[in-house]
Amino acid sequence: MRGLGDLESAIMDRLWSYRKPASVRDVLDDLRRDREIAYTTVMTVMDKLHTKGLLRRKQVGRAYVYETVASKEAYTAELMRATLTSGGNRAATLVHFLERLTPEEAQALEAALRVYPLGERG
Amino acid sequence: MIVATVLVLYAIAAVGRLPRLLGRGTWAERAPRLAISIWLAACVSAVASVALAAFAAAIPASVVGHGLAAFFEACAALLSDGDLALSPGARAALLGAVLVVARVTHCGAAVLVRARRERRRHADLLAVLGRHDGGLGAVVLEHDEAAAYCLPGRQGKTVITTAALESLAPEQVAAVLAHERAHLRGRHHLVLAAVEAFSVAFPRLPLFARARDEVARLVELLADDVAARHHPRIHLAAALVRLATGRTPAFMLGAGGETALMRVKRMLAPAVPLGRRERLAGLAMVALLLAGPAAVAAIPGVSSLLAHHCHTLSIF
Repeated sequence: MRGLGDLESAIMDRLWSYRKPASVRDVLDDLRRDREIAYTTVMTVMDKLHTKGLLRRKQVGRAYVYETVASKEAYTAELMRATLTSGGNRAATLVHFLERLTPEEAQALEAALRVYPLGERG
Repeated sequence: MIVATVLVLYAIAAVGRLPRLLGRGTWAERAPRLAISIWLAACVSAVASVALAAFAAAIPASVVGHGLAAFFEACAALLSDGDLALSPGARAALLGAVLVVARVTHCGAAVLVRARRERRRHADLLAVLGRHDGGLGAVVLEHDEAAAYCLPGRQGKTVITTAALESLAPEQVAAVLAHERAHLRGRHHLVLAAVEAFSVAFPRLPLFARARDEVARLVELLADDVAARHHPRIHLAAALVRLATGRTPAFMLGAGGETALMRVKRMLAPAVPLGRRERLAGLAMVALLLAGPAAVAAIPGVSSLLAHHCHTLSIF
């Protein structure tokens, strides 16, 4: 395990795979199959994920049950949309290899790449 | 007053004419780093000359002529509203200078704070969604859109999507990631933030709008050049073509493929770098843009100082 970021990622992956709400105890039991980990650690991280808006929770009895707010694909799509659209803040994320070529330009360039003299490579 | 007028006229000329002058020819593509310095210097020069004009108008040269002590006295008097009589014009000029400097500072801070907040949010999500690949030295994001980018900051990250990994050969991936790392190592986001701040502070002025667009383009060329030092140019060119085609319409940028086309051509047929003389001329231009307005503003003070202390010598 490499720090809290990885634990967040592991917990989210478990919750995405369950497809149903789970308590801290459920997640803990699951995680303990792979590693030694304390209840309070898992609780803290799940609370943090809730604060970040990645998990929602409701109280059942004396404990909370957590579930993911959206699917992993939905989060990724949203992250990429925010990053890649032209309205994105270039000072925040430098985005490249994003320019668009017309099919004709691309064809011409592909042809140019093919005839590029081998001796000059590098 | 002449000095203030000259400085203001220079600022107007710089804002209106410099963009066309600097945009001429293809020299910038042959020396992106130098071109970025010149654009930044041009922005600073225009703003500084306006601020200096106001000071020149407000502080009479004769005051400076009596030595530094008198000059500081005059400045103190300006601040404390003392016995130095300030005409309403001079007051307005000083207020203008303060406003110009404050505006740039404020916009710069706002751009940086906003970028930082967006980066932090992005990094949070990336920590959960992505997976760090030690071999690549990058975060891999599972996504069906081919893309590569970098997230600057204290712990800068390069990010590449699974779709990009699938559509590129390993050596092309290496070239793309080298390009991204060049951005991170060169702290290009700070350069972009600077030109962004100028363009936000003074919207619709040709110099600042053009500087922002040009610098955004030039940092890409610069990163290409840095990546090309260790990776064959053909791989970068091929990666550019591969990644710039077959994109879904949602991600189309309004600007069209001009930059991509130019970048690919540049990688395939590198232009001759600027010669020594041209490079020196460029550096001299940076120096002139930065020091010129200050030198002009100092003329009356210096000449007055000389006249005061060497009664027989009068240059100006």
